[in-house]
Amino acid sequence: MAIRANPKLIDELEPYGAEDVVKCYHCGNCSAVCPFSKQPYVFPRKPMRFLQMGLEEKLKSELDPWLCYYCGQCSDQCPRDAEPGETMMSLRRWLTSRYDWTGISRLFYKSWRFEVGAVILVALLTVIGFLTFGFSQGNIDHYDGPNAFLPSSSIHIFDWGLAVVLLALLLSNAARMWWFTTGRDKSLRVPLGAYVTKAYLLPVHFFTQKRYSQCEHKSPWAIHLALVLSYVTMLVLIMFFLRDMASGPAVDWRVHVFGYLATVGLVVSTVVFLRRRIRKSATQYKHSHESDWIFLILLLAVAVTGILQHILHRSDLGLEANMMYVTHLALVVPMLVLEVPFSKWSHLAYRPLAMYLADVRAVALERREPASEPAGELRTA
Amino acid sequence: MEEPRTGVYVCNCGTNIAKVVDCDAVADSAAQLPGVVVARSYKYMCSNPGQEMIAQDIEEHALERVVVAACSPRMHEPTFRRALQTAGLNPYFLEMANIREQVSWVHDDGAVATQKAKALVHAAVNRVVHHEPLDRMSVDMCPNTLIIGGGIAGMTAALEFAGAGKQVYLVEKLDHLGGNLARVDLTAPYLDSARDIIADRITRVTDNEHIDVMLDAQVQSLDGFVGNFKATIRRETGLEGDGPTVSVDVGSVVVCTGYKEFDASRVTHYGYGKLPNVITSFEFERMLHEGRVETKEGRLPQYVAIIHCVGSRSPEFHAYCSRVCCMTALKYAREVKSALPKSYVSDIYVDMHAFGKGMEDFYRRSAEIKTLFLMYERGEPPVIRRADPDDDCEMLIEVHEQLSGEVIEIPADLVILMVGMEAREDSGEVARLVNISRDKDGWFIESHPKLDPVATTTEGVYIAGTCAAPKDIPDTVAQARAAAGRILGKIARGKIDIDAVYAEVDEDKCSGCRVCNELCPYVAIEYDAETRRSHVISALCKACGACVAACPSGAIKARHFTDEQIFAQIEGVLA
Repeated sequence: MAIRANPKLIDELEPYGAEDVVKCYHCGNCSAVCPFSKQPYVFPRKPMRFLQMGLEEKLKSELDPWLCYYCGQCSDQCPRDAEPGETMMSLRRWLTSRYDWTGISRLFYKSWRFEVGAVILVALLTVIGFLTFGFSQGNIDHYDGPNAFLPSSSIHIFDWGLAVVLLALLLSNAARMWWFTTGRDKSLRVPLGAYVTKAYLLPVHFFTQKRYSQCEHKSPWAIHLALVLSYVTMLVLIMFFLRDMASGPAVDWRVHVFGYLATVGLVVSTVVFLRRRIRKSATQYKHSHESDWIFLILLLAVAVTGILQHILHRSDLGLEANMMYVTHLALVVPMLVLEVPFSKWSHLAYRPLAMYLADVRAVALERREPASEPAGELRTA
Repeated sequence: MEEPRTGVYVCNCGTNIAKVVDCDAVADSAAQLPGVVVARSYKYMCSNPGQEMIAQDIEEHALERVVVAACSPRMHEPTFRRALQTAGLNPYFLEMANIREQVSWVHDDGAVATQKAKALVHAAVNRVVHHEPLDRMSVDMCPNTLIIGGGIAGMTAALEFAGAGKQVYLVEKLDHLGGNLARVDLTAPYLDSARDIIADRITRVTDNEHIDVMLDAQVQSLDGFVGNFKATIRRETGLEGDGPTVSVDVGSVVVCTGYKEFDASRVTHYGYGKLPNVITSFEFERMLHEGRVETKEGRLPQYVAIIHCVGSRSPEFHAYCSRVCCMTALKYAREVKSALPKSYVSDIYVDMHAFGKGMEDFYRRSAEIKTLFLMYERGEPPVIRRADPDDDCEMLIEVHEQLSGEVIEIPADLVILMVGMEAREDSGEVARLVNISRDKDGWFIESHPKLDPVATTTEGVYIAGTCAAPKDIPDTVAQARAAAGRILGKIARGKIDIDAVYAEVDEDKCSGCRVCNELCPYVAIEYDAETRRSHVISALCKACGACVAACPSGAIKARHFTDEQIFAQIEGVLA
């Protein structure tokens, strides 16, 4: 049965950044030079072809875009300047919008104005909400203690509430990703055991970014890993040690030393990435989508306002510390609410999941048609 | 009789000959033959030092005959004949033994090959003894030229002659000049207007005092030989049928009869003639001329598909590539996009042939305007069907897409079939008229596909443009100018050399049976009704020998291929 091609899809992908894919004439240099392109996941040429022809469902089934870490070698080798690396990046954006069932992601990627507007709106609502809450029960001059403007116990409850909602969104999107790429393929009989035996790959890839480290240039991986670990550290501190974080004004080194390290990690990594994108210092930094900027700027601003709030609190400036706290929350909440499920931040879930599913699928493919190459972890590791 | 003093030269042809044949042994064995005073083996006889070696030996050893054992005489006989002539020896005192094509290239066993080479050299030495000094003739060259076909090739050639002040008779079958190019809108890859190219030439041709344009006219007969043809041209005068004929004297003929397009209805799976919006490239050109890209129903197509290689590169129809369709298809993609910016163009091709200047760039730019290129395999051509009522298109084209390995359906509202070029149905008639040959596809055959692409095997008759094979405008124009250049060179000399190798009729022996008249493939034998004898027009004779063998009276002798020479050669091989 012939698959219907949709020549219009290429127009749809344009706002996601895939402007140059039309130039590709399929010499295959990109797939030949890519260090990660191996059977059964051969890219970027193949997904580029599906995109040109508008084979939407085929594209949705692809894990390939997530197996690419955009080292840029393919784009450097391309004789037609079709930017295969950027096309893969655009496909990741587009896939993110397909996994998201609410449709919000699509709106964000298609219009940066919409995304910025949403960030501002959520920020304003956050400010109004926390000011109303603060004034209703506390003193704006008090950062901690019984009269605290934003007591850590309440914020802790708010954080956990938010976490549950975000987790639900992210998990439902991840489930859709599994369905599109693995679940719905009837010809692919994935043995349940494979899901179990390969499960260790999820934390491995999440915490080590192992695959990224295999790119020729190591610095993007190192900075990215610093960002990930800093973020995770901060997340653990906030979710489990918020009370110790907010107490003071004395510095509790047992907790705060981790906070400082994480903050330094976040500030340094975001600044380095921003600088590289501004200077377009390497192929993978040449094409920045609006969503890349919004994400990096938000993250940097969150880190900076967090540390400022901390300093003001330790300096016994209760009013200023509270105002900075509200500002910090006005950045954190939109970052979490909007970026995690609907925009660039969501790749923290999709990437390790893709590595895991890629190996799981490889096992199933191996069983279906035994190949000459060994299956298993070799695929993604 | 004392044997004439002979020199034998065995060429190694680099390693081409030497890797199989022991060339030194061949030279040594030749040295033992009667009359041979010098025998040498050398790396490249055709090189300047090789030729100088022969010239020097002719002088030093007072050579009277030369045998060169090397490649085929088709390749280098003229070279060595010139070498003899330079050294003051009659060029026909040369004989070549082909020890490359007939020995080293076809045998592996060195010993046997060497043996065969020795035998061929022996044959050549035996034969060259009987060679006679021959003189080339020369005839007057009529400075007028007949051009058949008033397309871009014919008009370009005509203007070259007229520019040199020479008379041209330009015969066109239709009632207007311009040929197939007049049916085209823009040209690839620079998107120049074909109409501009044509209109300017038509005016210049029509207004030129040296060009006699004959429209609605056909060449009825061509007699004579190079430099001295007589052409009869018939003008059609409408319903009456045959009109008046004119007779003109010309020295040369340039055939520029062009091509016709492939009949798309012969390909059934494209539904041409059944699906209203499946059209040919020429029908689309007409749309572009009229400035309206639309379906038969007058709607603007959202999806336009272009299918390549219709009738070309197919085992069923024509095996050859029509050369211009790929770039024309890209031109259509751009013209559609410029007429309908919101439309989607799919270009369904087999291989993209972007071989010429500026074409690869043109291909790249066509991709940049979002042309969707889909590749099919020759054995699996696309199939067009009507779309279902709820589809947003009129037709669906099924393609076994090669770059993805998927079988896909691509929507289309208008399908343009890139019909290839084929030889005109009257090409056989034209070939007979001017006595040239056609290949299996009906294209006229050139004298040499690489080294002599506009001359034919009939001297004085030239071919230019698409009557010889599919080609684009630059190549056509280049050929037209090349043919004109070749002819103008001959006109400038005023005389034409005729090869000294031809057949002669001994009229005393000729019985006038006329067997040879019908047999001659070059129409070179005339029968004189008064003397009741046949004679050979030496300028037309190609020395094929058919008449020599056929003559029941043994009255015909082929110069340079006498019985004596052939028998001596046979004896040499068998010795």
